[in-house]
Amino acid sequence: MGYEDAVTLAPFIAAVLVAAAILFVDFIAPGRKVPALAVTFAGLALVAILVVLTGQGAVTGRDEVTAFQGAYVVDPLTTFLDLLFISIAALTIAFAPDYLEERELPVAEFAAVLVFAISGAMLISASADLLVLFLGLELMVLPGYVLAGYHKSDGYSTEGAIKYFLLGSFSSAIFLFGLAFVWGLTGTTSIAGVAAVLGQVADGRPLTPGLGLGLAFLTTGVAFKIAAVPFHYWTPDAYQGSPTPVTGYLSVGPKVGAFALIIRLFAEALGPLAADWNVVVMVLAATTMTLGNLVALTQDNVKRMLAYSSIAHTGYMLVGFAAWAAGQQSGMEGLLYYGAAYAFMNLGAFAVIAALQKRLGVTSNLSTFAGLIRREPTLAILMTLFLLSLTGIPPTAGFFGKFYVILAAVQAGGWLAVLAVLAVLNAAAAAFYYLRVVVYMFMRDPTTEIPSLAHGRLVWAGLAVATVLTIVLGLFPGAMLEIVGGAAKAIIS
Amino acid sequence: MNVNDIPIVSLVVFLPLLGALVVAFLPGKRTDLIRWTALGFALAAWVVSLILLVGFTPGRPGFEYDQAIDWIPLFGIQYKVGVDGLSMAMVVLTTTLTWISILASFRPIQNRVKEYMVSFLVLEVGMTGVFVALDLFLFYVFWELVLVPMYLIIGVWGGVNRIYATIKFVLYTLVGSLLMLVAILATAFTYFASQSNAGVTDPWQGAFDLEVLTRFAGGGGFDPTFQFLAFGAFFLAFAIKVPMFPFHTWLPDAHVEAPTAGSVILAGVLLKLGGYGFIRFALPLFPDAAQTWAPAIIVLSLIAIIYGAIVALVQPDLKKLVAYSSVSHMGFVTLGIFVFQPQALQGAILQMVNHGLITGALFLLVGVIYERTHDRTIAKMSGLGARVPVYAAFFGFFVFASVGLPGLSGFVGEFLTLIGTFAVQPWAAVVATFVMILAAGYLLWMFQRVAFGEVSDFLKGLGGHLTDMRPVEVFTLVPLGALVVVFGLFPGLILDLVDGSVTQTLNAVLQGAPVALGLWR
Repeated sequence: MGYEDAVTLAPFIAAVLVAAAILFVDFIAPGRKVPALAVTFAGLALVAILVVLTGQGAVTGRDEVTAFQGAYVVDPLTTFLDLLFISIAALTIAFAPDYLEERELPVAEFAAVLVFAISGAMLISASADLLVLFLGLELMVLPGYVLAGYHKSDGYSTEGAIKYFLLGSFSSAIFLFGLAFVWGLTGTTSIAGVAAVLGQVADGRPLTPGLGLGLAFLTTGVAFKIAAVPFHYWTPDAYQGSPTPVTGYLSVGPKVGAFALIIRLFAEALGPLAADWNVVVMVLAATTMTLGNLVALTQDNVKRMLAYSSIAHTGYMLVGFAAWAAGQQSGMEGLLYYGAAYAFMNLGAFAVIAALQKRLGVTSNLSTFAGLIRREPTLAILMTLFLLSLTGIPPTAGFFGKFYVILAAVQAGGWLAVLAVLAVLNAAAAAFYYLRVVVYMFMRDPTTEIPSLAHGRLVWAGLAVATVLTIVLGLFPGAMLEIVGGAAKAIIS
Repeated sequence: MNVNDIPIVSLVVFLPLLGALVVAFLPGKRTDLIRWTALGFALAAWVVSLILLVGFTPGRPGFEYDQAIDWIPLFGIQYKVGVDGLSMAMVVLTTTLTWISILASFRPIQNRVKEYMVSFLVLEVGMTGVFVALDLFLFYVFWELVLVPMYLIIGVWGGVNRIYATIKFVLYTLVGSLLMLVAILATAFTYFASQSNAGVTDPWQGAFDLEVLTRFAGGGGFDPTFQFLAFGAFFLAFAIKVPMFPFHTWLPDAHVEAPTAGSVILAGVLLKLGGYGFIRFALPLFPDAAQTWAPAIIVLSLIAIIYGAIVALVQPDLKKLVAYSSVSHMGFVTLGIFVFQPQALQGAILQMVNHGLITGALFLLVGVIYERTHDRTIAKMSGLGARVPVYAAFFGFFVFASVGLPGLSGFVGEFLTLIGTFAVQPWAAVVATFVMILAAGYLLWMFQRVAFGEVSDFLKGLGGHLTDMRPVEVFTLVPLGALVVVFGLFPGLILDLVDGSVTQTLNAVLQGAPVALGLWR
């Protein structure tokens, strides 16, 4: 590893070091959350700065830099995704301590494990080689299993973690098997190399059986990771069982990470075969958003409802991806925009649930929300904002995300226009279950008289960030549009 | 700074938003302060809208007081607002009904006053915004903005079945408006595609601009198949809002469950959003499709007119009766719009204003009696005339206005619609005229049962609780009554105002050519 490589890799290395530093601080001052959190946030800020500096070429003087003979790449897409991952981690860690401390779960380890997961996601976003891609994927999901089972003494948490772990490793194996096919048939693991070979193979000739099988395995593996229907069965249990701050993270972090993987793998490496896999993506998009929404309609547990709704949101994002594969650049921009919008509004919603569950024994059932406007008016109003954004009501981030994705689908025309209509019908159906929570918060009387709780400053700060971003991304999308525009351009195809 | 530089339209739209913010930060226990502050901002918006009206020059083509700021330049989306005669009439109707509704809520709303007033002021932002937006994206944002506060107003301060009613209202409206969003995007993209084919440097420029798109549509920019589909999506959104048969089923529930002021705004302004949408967006953007769809819409309007009247005839509940009469009356509006005839369209617009005033007043009156008796059953109310004569007099006045008594404004609107319709679609006019008799039937019969006859045991049992109108209640009704008389005697006041809009809309649809409308003639 030369000096140049080290500089290019600096953000990733820094992220790993930050995770290690958190553990070290916890070792020196065991169980004290303040130093651990200070190191965490300072470290994440440092990583973010390094990401920006590397991305701008401030260190190397180039727009796109690679390391390790082209296995690792830093382009605008990497920068965008890395910053998103870091924000997700920072927000999650801001929401967690209140919840964890009540349950006597260690804060520092939580932060460390989460930062490890983020470093994996950062590796995915920077990979230009299939093996690096797989390494990043595993580094991202393994800490996820730990986090899902973080509440060791809770049966549901353990059950969810085991389901998540079994299906997760199963799908990783399938995915790796698919990679092996691609490697065997193209003779290279470099993403650009694979694309070049496939470009010649796909040139007007039908798919060979071997490639077809490889594609099928890869698609299945990835569909598990993003919880696309019918590969979504692990989601509700894993989400409902996990500690609430973890659920918030699981519903956005690994999802955006998996979409980063999809972009690197399908859009870049397998791009020449787009005509073959895009049919599957469109079918997945249609089933995922429809089934996710239909099942979410019947849920009485808000966490479980949001789990199913996150499946539906995967479907909307897939619509953007399919539009990209059909030749619309705006589809990729829409997907990235939606990813960012979804991350902030969904984390916000989970933060509210976590704040309510600070008191032990409070479930995430709908009844917890009854009459919330009287007990905790600020939380109720913020939750309403996040839910409206998830529904896609303007002027919120969620609306503009949907707007962008649907615009791309309409531009692509044909079956994608049908998919756009299906997407908005789904959004209308989703309004029913999101607004049901609002009904409970505003229109029902509290079942029990629970006095309001004091919430930590960190929770309020995190909520403020999520709120501002949810509104700004809806009202003034200009700046973010430029960023996702640049990121989408970086994709080789 | 020149007086003309003040963005006065934006001021009307955003004054209530400022009001909502101010009210939100007032201490929740100072309910009187909250009420008066909200009323103050609503009155301020009303005054500014009147200034707008005074400075408005009717008959000038295009939009006045227009203001355009780039909002999302990447897609050519602008914050673009302006008014023509039609918008002007609707904006003043909105601001007037809003302050009246807020004043009328002073006594009935005792619970969570702050949230109520904030919702109402935000609602006003959305409503006026829809009427002045000249950019499709901006229009959609305001259109959806209306939904949230109304959802809360029905759901929090409504009657027993309020949650069912409010969810039904939201889901119906959302299905329509989301499909309209797809149509808006497709429209913008079609424009974009044609511009980029023509080699324009920034093809998104103007893709959401109503005026640009209208010109583009006038030049035959949208092909017939596209128009047919896009118009269908717009039609669904607006038809649900109007509401046209068979999309009206949310209306009786929402009206019955909503608090009085909510019903007033729902009937007075929200239903007008649909009619306004047809005239402002659906007709000029998709003129060919409008003509293709017209016969079907005329038939649906006639069904709505007849069906609404017949169902109103058998309602035992006062509020439900008024709600169904809305379906019938709004049928005249869509009929008047889709026969594409100047008098009919003028009549339709006038009918929109009248219905806002008269039905608004009727809902206020139902609210007055409900507050005292906690009942709305017609059968229990006989003899109100003897007990509360002032109330009965007001009620009678607005019932007659709703029936269409000559000299009051309701008459002129329906008469113009019928004359205009008769000129092009005589059969439709004949059917609609017969229903006017039916309307007289259900309204007068209801009034007879309520106002006259022996004083019922139910009313006797109330004893001293049944007081006559309070000064504030009279004060909320007098302006509406005065306007009903003024517009009845001088309909020219509104007709001159909207003349330019009528001509422009019909030119856009008919494109100068005489149109073969008589499908069954």
